[in-house]
Amino acid sequence: MSTLTPRERVLNLFAGKEVDRPACYSGMGNVTTVALEEIGCKFRDLHGDAKKMAQAGASSYHLFGYESAVIPFDLCVEAEALGCAMNPYDNVEQLLYPTIKEKAIHTEEEITTFSIPDDVLERGRINVICEAIRLLKKDIGQEVAIGTYLLGPFTLAGQLMDLNDLFKLSFKKPDKINHMLDRLADVQIAIGRKFYEAGADYITVREMGATTDILSPRAFNNVIAPHLKKIFAGLPGNNVLHICGGTNSVIGNMNDCGAAAVSLEFKNDMAKTRAEIGPDPLIFGQVDAYSVLVTGKPEDVVKGVLASLDAGVDAVWPGCDIWPTAPLENLKAMVETVREHGASRWVRKRA
Amino acid sequence: MSQEILDRLKQGVIDYDEDAVSDAANEALAQNVNPHSAVFDGLVPGMVEVGRLYEEQEYFVPEMLMCADAMYAGLNILKPHMSKKEGASRGVVVMGVVQGDVHDIGKNIVRMMFDASGFEVHDLGRDVPLDKFVEEQLKTDSDMVCLSAMMTTTMVGMKEIIEKIKEKNPKCKIMIGGAPVTSDIASRWGADGYARDANNALKDAINMIASLKSIS
Repeated sequence: MSTLTPRERVLNLFAGKEVDRPACYSGMGNVTTVALEEIGCKFRDLHGDAKKMAQAGASSYHLFGYESAVIPFDLCVEAEALGCAMNPYDNVEQLLYPTIKEKAIHTEEEITTFSIPDDVLERGRINVICEAIRLLKKDIGQEVAIGTYLLGPFTLAGQLMDLNDLFKLSFKKPDKINHMLDRLADVQIAIGRKFYEAGADYITVREMGATTDILSPRAFNNVIAPHLKKIFAGLPGNNVLHICGGTNSVIGNMNDCGAAAVSLEFKNDMAKTRAEIGPDPLIFGQVDAYSVLVTGKPEDVVKGVLASLDAGVDAVWPGCDIWPTAPLENLKAMVETVREHGASRWVRKRA
Repeated sequence: MSQEILDRLKQGVIDYDEDAVSDAANEALAQNVNPHSAVFDGLVPGMVEVGRLYEEQEYFVPEMLMCADAMYAGLNILKPHMSKKEGASRGVVVMGVVQGDVHDIGKNIVRMMFDASGFEVHDLGRDVPLDKFVEEQLKTDSDMVCLSAMMTTTMVGMKEIIEKIKEKNPKCKIMIGGAPVTSDIASRWGADGYARDANNALKDAINMIASLKSIS
């Protein structure tokens, strides 16, 4: 039997040290409706309450054995700190993820002039996240890795201003957009440092607004990659870069951004990816978070996990936030399959 | 002469050149080119070519949005001059992005094709409460309802809307679309059709229109 704790397994993997098998965890949100029932609250009650957030974060370890606890569960934290208003859908019966209802940038001029508050690190829910990290650290921080995430600057910009305008101006006036994204990269570095200081073991930077069915590889080079590079250079730690969708046309650039690992979803053809970037970079993924984990059967999950292992991932994790109705038996099957087959099917060890 | 103007309308859309399209549209009117022909033989073929370029990954979303602006520049000039008969609605469509989702680019592109093709479009916008779709369908007695979701986390709301609409008006066609939607999900939830992903939004919009035509 292995003597590694889940946390050691995750951290050793980042550090390039010996581990027995790929870890099974996630860089994104993993709350389930079962967990919400146990905590006795609604999804919407998690976002502003550090204690409930921490409880929900710990549930992926307690309920199905993920080797991590990840908070928060929405994508509005930074935009709120920068002055946007978030909609938690308080009066809606069904479970919804919060969105931004009021943008901070309204005109083309404001793209370069919008103000970043001096005390941005004290605003919105940033201290709630830090408190939840500290609570998790105290609770299960010895056993599992504590993770959180940040948005990539482009994705964040899409919350601060109209998305249509952002896309068009990225093409027509890239200098203006780059100016804004450079400033947002500084904000993300500062917030990320604060999360690490609070005790986060790793941070996933989610640049999902920059998928390849939206932006050309050329645009990725011009307006996405420079700012991701800045973040990873300025934020020491176990950073993961996640981009959804088919990422093969930008995988070389993603790999050059300087993150400790890249996270890919199932639409990435891993054989091509390994052929391009080689066997060394850490790749996490690539289990389908909806069609396998939510609507699949446990045997589909086993298949999905084995496919990810055979494709050459170094940690098995979902390609997105887990939709809360994912059945526990599926999530347990995910973890058990990695425990059972991870060591023998790990491409890195077989090579 | 008229072919030259049609070509300019088409090329202006492809080149996302709003000014060129506006100029060509005004000239078309000045030279008595049939406005209906200017739209369907000039602007629309331009957008079809844009769709092809998008599918071949020569164009991406920013380019497509700029082409759409050019298309609307022409459409806004030409539409008021289309005769009543030509301008008669080919069908009524209710569309919107489901609650919890604020990503409306795919929906807007599909909407544009409906606009251009002479449908009466009731666009509910984005982040639309589920019941609003049902209400609007009943109010307008629309032939079709188009639902869009760009995230897995919001897609699930579509199921309920489809059930409610079909319950009240089984004849209404329902199309769903957006990045996470699959044909499997569409058929399981009882939708009549779906747009595969952002890459195919435009093409699928054209297909939807074609399929509606064959229905009527």
